[in-house]
Amino acid sequence: MATKSGNATALTVLSPIKNGAIGEMSFADITRERCLRLPIHEKSPLARVPNTYLARLFVLDDVFYESLPGSDSVFNFSDITSFFSDAARKAALPKKDHLQSRYLVFSSNFYGDLDDYLAGMWEKWAYDAHGNQRDIRYIWEHCVAFDQVNDCNDFIGYIKKCQLDASLFFNGSTDDSLQEQLKALYLKQEFTKFVVAHQGKSAEEIQQDFKTFIDRVQPENMDGPSWLPGQSMP
Amino acid sequence: MSNIAGKAYAMNVITPIRWYKVWINRLIFKIALNKPSTLKGLITLSLIHYARWVIIPRNAFPHLDPSQPKENLNYAYMLFFSNFNGSWDQYVDSFTFAIPSGLDLFWKWNVRYPKSVPLTPFHNYIRHNQIDTSHYYSAYPMAASNDVKSAKKLKQALIDFNAASSNKTPDEFLVDYNRLLNHLQHDFGEMRPTPIVSLAAQAVKERFLKSQASH
Repeated sequence: MATKSGNATALTVLSPIKNGAIGEMSFADITRERCLRLPIHEKSPLARVPNTYLARLFVLDDVFYESLPGSDSVFNFSDITSFFSDAARKAALPKKDHLQSRYLVFSSNFYGDLDDYLAGMWEKWAYDAHGNQRDIRYIWEHCVAFDQVNDCNDFIGYIKKCQLDASLFFNGSTDDSLQEQLKALYLKQEFTKFVVAHQGKSAEEIQQDFKTFIDRVQPENMDGPSWLPGQSMP
Repeated sequence: MSNIAGKAYAMNVITPIRWYKVWINRLIFKIALNKPSTLKGLITLSLIHYARWVIIPRNAFPHLDPSQPKENLNYAYMLFFSNFNGSWDQYVDSFTFAIPSGLDLFWKWNVRYPKSVPLTPFHNYIRHNQIDTSHYYSAYPMAASNDVKSAKKLKQALIDFNAASSNKTPDEFLVDYNRLLNHLQHDFGEMRPTPIVSLAAQAVKERFLKSQASH
């Protein structure tokens, strides 16, 4: 299974959304609007879900018809059929597919174990929507059979039923935990500023300030100063 | 839509593949997986945080309840999700210029894939099959993938330097300090919010800031 690469996991979830509507708005569009209105960056509910590197949500409405020309040997060859009749040519065109359900797609790249991660989603996912506190159920509410999800174990089981394995997962990042990565980024930012501010200063001054700097940034203390998940401003 | 989270761009592409060719694609991915040298080209593209390919056979879309209609598809589908830095054009073009044959190997079994060279049909193919993201989150919107990698190197060098040199005489300290800066010269850089690269992403940001201010 290629869903893991080192310590990183590629979670791919397709949750079917119920066909139907509330008033004039389909369940799929309600779900999409809820995704669109999620707060961003450090306010995103995903910032609270431990170990999330990068994640996304969107609604898959349908698949696409391959109407564009391609360098596809079978179809190029089939163009020869147009010598005989237009009907033969049309019969050789790509087939048309339509999905019977629309799907809420959740894709996450995270550090660690899947069950722990999903438990974190169930327990920590929260955000404020104009004074209303929303949990994870608000996004998945209109998905098929989600009304049977009542607790964390149900949620883990539900997502696993919707999960698809990756055929290939490419990890182009470091294989460290998010906490480790955020600490390193914080140090990079702070040490860069330190170096710029100390250009041309005396050895004594740089050494003295360096000690103060180390006391402040605490490079080896993971619980010390760091960037926050989703932090969008220095 | 919100394909952008700070410096990261989320690409989603779904393309049909003839069901009887799925095994070939799977085999190629398996070889790539077991022989990491085949992914050297991807590693060269250091702007990628993470990327994945997922093949959904015709009858494998999640079906959770008898009330849900079953899919009745002619083709299997391949999903491609990527997280990268830079603009759409930079990314798609870098694939074409850096690993055209690798790219073709992964996609050539897909219906009407035009190949990665020349560029315009390839651009059209990706655009035609791309789906916008509704919510995109990055844990470090100010950082590019190269920042994450260079920060790891910098952190370790800083810890080592502190242990080895902080208590030396000032002159010796300075020699080591300058050596450290020389060693890390490619890894420094102050990170800041990205400039506006997408009006749609900017609109999402402004709407968010407005909602925060009014609340």
